Amino acid sequence: MKIRTLLLGIGLSVGASAYAAEPIKIGIPVGLSGAASVVAPSAVQASELAVEEINSQGGVLGRQLRLEIADDGSGAQGAQRAYDSLVFQRKVDVIVTSQNTAARNAGLPIVNRGRVPLIYTSFYEGRSCSPWMYINAWVPEQQVAPVVDHFMTEYEAKKFFLIGSDYAFGRGMLQYTREYVESKGGSVVGEAYLPMDGSDWTAIISQLRSANPDALITSTAGGAPNVTLTRQLRAAGISIPYGYYALDEGTAKSMGDNAEGIYIVASYLSSLETDANKAFLEAIEKKFGSSAETPNELSVPQYEAIYAYAAAVEKAGSTDSAAVIQALGEVTVEGPRGSVIMNKQRHASLNMYLGRVAADGSVQLVKSFPKVDPGEQCPQFANK
Amino acid sequence: MEALALDILTTAAILFVVSTGLMIILGVMKLINFAHGAFLTTGGYIAYLVGAAGLNPWLAVPAAAVLGFLAGLVIERTIIRPLYHRPLDAILATWGLGIVIGQVFALTFGRGVQFAPSPILGTIDVFGNEYSGYRLAMLAVAIVLAVALSALLSFTRFGLNARAVIANEPLARGLGIDSANVRSITFGLGAGLACAAGALITPLLSVDPNMGLPWLVNSFMLVMISGVSFPSLLVASLLLGGSQVLVSTYISPILGGMTIVVLAALILRLKPKGFSRA
Amino acid sequence: MSYTHRAALIGCLSGLAIIAVAPLFLDVYLTNILIRTLFVAAVVMTVDILWGYTGVLTFGQSAFFGIGAYACGLIFTHYGFGPGWALAALAVALGTAAIVAAAVGWLAFFHGSSPLYSSIITLALPIVLTQIIYSGGSFTGSSSGLSGFPTYYWDLKVWFWIAGGFLVLTTTAGWLLVRSDFGRVLIAIRENEERSAYLGIPVSRIKTMLMVFAGMVASVAGFGYAAFSNVVAPEMAGFQLGTELLIWTALGGRATLLGPVFAAIGIDTISSWLSGAMPFVWKLLTGVAFVLVIVLLPRGLAPLIGALWRKLRPKRVQKIHAIRLSPAPAGRMLHASFGDAPPLCLSQVSRRYGSLQVLRDVNLDAHGTELLGIIGPNGAGKTTLMRCISDGNERTGGAVRVNNVEIARGSPQDIVGLGVGRSFQNTNLFDTLTVGECLQLARYRIDGAKLFDRRETVSLPHPALDILKTTGLDKMLAEETRNLSHGMKRGLELAMVLATEPSVLLLDEPTAGLTRPERMAIGAVLTRLTQEFGLCIMLIEHDLDFVRAICNRVVVLHQGAILMEGTVEEVVASDLVKAAYTGLQKEAVA
Repeated sequence: MKIRTLLLGIGLSVGASAYAAEPIKIGIPVGLSGAASVVAPSAVQASELAVEEINSQGGVLGRQLRLEIADDGSGAQGAQRAYDSLVFQRKVDVIVTSQNTAARNAGLPIVNRGRVPLIYTSFYEGRSCSPWMYINAWVPEQQVAPVVDHFMTEYEAKKFFLIGSDYAFGRGMLQYTREYVESKGGSVVGEAYLPMDGSDWTAIISQLRSANPDALITSTAGGAPNVTLTRQLRAAGISIPYGYYALDEGTAKSMGDNAEGIYIVASYLSSLETDANKAFLEAIEKKFGSSAETPNELSVPQYEAIYAYAAAVEKAGSTDSAAVIQALGEVTVEGPRGSVIMNKQRHASLNMYLGRVAADGSVQLVKSFPKVDPGEQCPQFANK
Repeated sequence: MEALALDILTTAAILFVVSTGLMIILGVMKLINFAHGAFLTTGGYIAYLVGAAGLNPWLAVPAAAVLGFLAGLVIERTIIRPLYHRPLDAILATWGLGIVIGQVFALTFGRGVQFAPSPILGTIDVFGNEYSGYRLAMLAVAIVLAVALSALLSFTRFGLNARAVIANEPLARGLGIDSANVRSITFGLGAGLACAAGALITPLLSVDPNMGLPWLVNSFMLVMISGVSFPSLLVASLLLGGSQVLVSTYISPILGGMTIVVLAALILRLKPKGFSRA
Repeated sequence: MSYTHRAALIGCLSGLAIIAVAPLFLDVYLTNILIRTLFVAAVVMTVDILWGYTGVLTFGQSAFFGIGAYACGLIFTHYGFGPGWALAALAVALGTAAIVAAAVGWLAFFHGSSPLYSSIITLALPIVLTQIIYSGGSFTGSSSGLSGFPTYYWDLKVWFWIAGGFLVLTTTAGWLLVRSDFGRVLIAIRENEERSAYLGIPVSRIKTMLMVFAGMVASVAGFGYAAFSNVVAPEMAGFQLGTELLIWTALGGRATLLGPVFAAIGIDTISSWLSGAMPFVWKLLTGVAFVLVIVLLPRGLAPLIGALWRKLRPKRVQKIHAIRLSPAPAGRMLHASFGDAPPLCLSQVSRRYGSLQVLRDVNLDAHGTELLGIIGPNGAGKTTLMRCISDGNERTGGAVRVNNVEIARGSPQDIVGLGVGRSFQNTNLFDTLTVGECLQLARYRIDGAKLFDRRETVSLPHPALDILKTTGLDKMLAEETRNLSHGMKRGLELAMVLATEPSVLLLDEPTAGLTRPERMAIGAVLTRLTQEFGLCIMLIEHDLDFVRAICNRVVVLHQGAILMEGTVEEVVASDLVKAAYTGLQKEAVA
């Protein structure tokens, strides 16, 4: 409801200036209900901020931007409904989304049918390719190296133990980690998965104990599994170096001292000391006040993607899908994460940051890795 | 090896604690309470609230038990009683109730993961193994609970009446036992036990609106194969929980997650009465 | 053409007509939404047949939907695409669904399984299946599912026609099924499963077959859904969808078939409008509505609308399906007493419940043309003895032979097949069925039941016809059994048991609660059955006068063992028996 009134407000305030031209519609399918609804508000806020900023500077090609938000219920079936509604009913010009992989996959056929550009803004397990899609978030190639390298050099870790939730992201990340660890001369002494809704890590922790590794890397489903695994590890007194792929700053904070010492790798940390990030944090704070959500690894790319789309439309001179798709690979966005251009086989080189959770739950920057390449993602789009 | 034995014992203890509330309702009322998962969740949120208020984490358990008991009385009166002669409908109504409870939590606390403090931190040395102190505490809780519930059924007026209703309800009514009263206290007791169990498992888990759901099916299976007796529930928890740990440890944790369901279904197919009259 | 068939044809044709023109008036968005909903509605229809009509509460119908969807997704992704591959995938979808359904049937519907247990098995099915999909790695796409596989990008209209046509045709078939003779069998199973089994109806097999067919329909729906939407995901097989199917069925009105179908279409479409605006509240409201409907309106919303409809329309004479009686060809009944061995032979039969021994070492032969009375004080084990004869799983020791065949661990329906008919202490009939339908039901084992049609006649063996005539029931074939007097219910029950053409008849207090003339009438019939038709009748009775009047021989049971046997006079005169009845210890007298 809040979103609605806000949208209405934006619509009214800009109504006078954009009187002549039809607004450009940006579709945001997002998990307002279901598992993803935890992070949905931050993504929506970031999108609203981007749209407001662009509109206040006169919009794009003289046209205002307008958000169209649809709930995907955090699942494939809901996503199809949301995409149907956005593409065929509300006839959006672009879709920008940080949904989970299943929801995105469910939406792709509809995007293909409706010929609408899609910018995907969530980190994922990689190698999803579609003529209508660009991705500005990280893939395993960018995430794995910093933490594994750090463990190998700082802690002289040789034996790694991997724990994940049994789903595409969990398996994808750990499979790449295994390859990377082995290519660097280390070994993986155990790799164990629990179903996504599993919460009893007892047997895996016992395996971990008897394998006696030097370091632990985990990749579980967001939300509950993050917390249950960490708590049970801590209760079992496991204290080896511990890297976590799917832990976000917010969850780390809520876990308090349980999360202390966990390493996370991200393309965005809210503590980044860059001017762009400070300005962004201020703008969020100013616009949403006390209800402002802490920006995160999903909401910031969402913010940047709307800027990327705006730039691409300017460059293409129209909202024509084919022209915009062409232009999206050529425009650079200077955002909170630094400058991002999606020219690496529809993906982007990103600055990556290795952080460590402190006792108060905040994430301290340990090391940064500029312009990490996403590697071979979609060779079929190599020339574009 | 000792670690494996401890894993099996503590897993069985947790399963037992989680299933008792379901069992007592099935035993006396002959109905499967599909809101059991939602009751566990309720216990989790009570633990979270107690923690957030800065109180002693142990307080969560009695608080959850009392609140659960009262809520159970109300639910029995409004939803369960009209469905007494329609057991399958009672399943559906309690399932709907579970949805409603989950959504109310989602609306009040948000979908996000909450965090309840643990009353026992760190590990304890058992035969040279560092083992989670809280899991060991659950073992003690399970034993105390088993003794207390057996005593309740054996030595109290309510227990006597409940056993009479379990054995032969029409006859019990004929003997002047107010079976409606027994039923509503039973449902309250079951709900209270479930909420307390939710508060007890929370320190090992996280709190979210769906946290109880994954426990639901395993508890059903354990209760179905143990009939209406706490000793056989203990045996079932040990055997199936033990198989789960063994399969998880030696084959795959994913298969481990299905072990209880699959084994219990097969046991029931071959021996429809389960362990109850073994 | 019968009334039912005509109605089905009209309904089917008008349904198809609506489906044919609808896409011309719908926008792209609504067409897209409806295509998926129409596929799902067909699954809801199967849930209603299973749960609403047959009483199998299934949480697992989504699993079959998922099997169909994954058959499509997996084969098109990994193996190939084209008309041949599509047919192969459809065959795989049907075959897998059938095999899984049969396995579930084997697990869930054995004789003696409780409805709770069956429900929990159907609940476990989607949970296990989703887990398998999750662990399938890149083959099943795990949590991400599969998407973007090649499929037929036909025009939306074409897909709408396919989905709508599928729904209309399957629903018509379902509608005919539940209104057929076989539909009465399903209702009988729902109303009183135990009684159905003792009429020789193979309950487990029927439920399993129904599960198989319902699973295949759901699987085809899933196949179509996946082929249209070009996506498969684990949630399509999940238990969340399984419960939603139940919710729609309950809201639409179980056992109305069309109610759930329209509820599915309506609620799914509305929710795609509303859930976007208020996702949490929408789910909360559905939950509350569901609980309210279950508690207050167990038949759902459809009957309310139906009642309104009847109020608005002028009353029409309700058309009752007329059933005529006809004599059955002389069956095995007449040959019962032939052969050397006695028709019923018990040796060392025992039954214990834990430490409690209810029957011990009962040895007993009963012969053709014999009317054997079983008497004994309450708790002597009389009814248990009958149970041990009519259900092979009851006894804990000893052997029972019927017509020289060992009953082994046979289920009640197997034993009915051997020639045992059993009546019950309480007259638990099928309340919503008519007298004629009950009789047809009793003939199911011998005459079968039409799947999509109704028979106008029921052929009964002579003794059954006699009873109907004596009691006047032959004039009341269209009456629902709940309106019958107690005496008539007894008469009907006896007629139903005789309709199964037994050679051994087990009657548990057949005259309880009857007036004296009614008793004498029944007594005469029983005597005639033994003398003219050569039946062997075993009878539990408390009324010694009745026993004296009709029985050839009497067996006295006391504390689970045979105390004595002989003629009525011998038994009545025995001090032993007197002592047993007056509650003295046997030892004290002996």
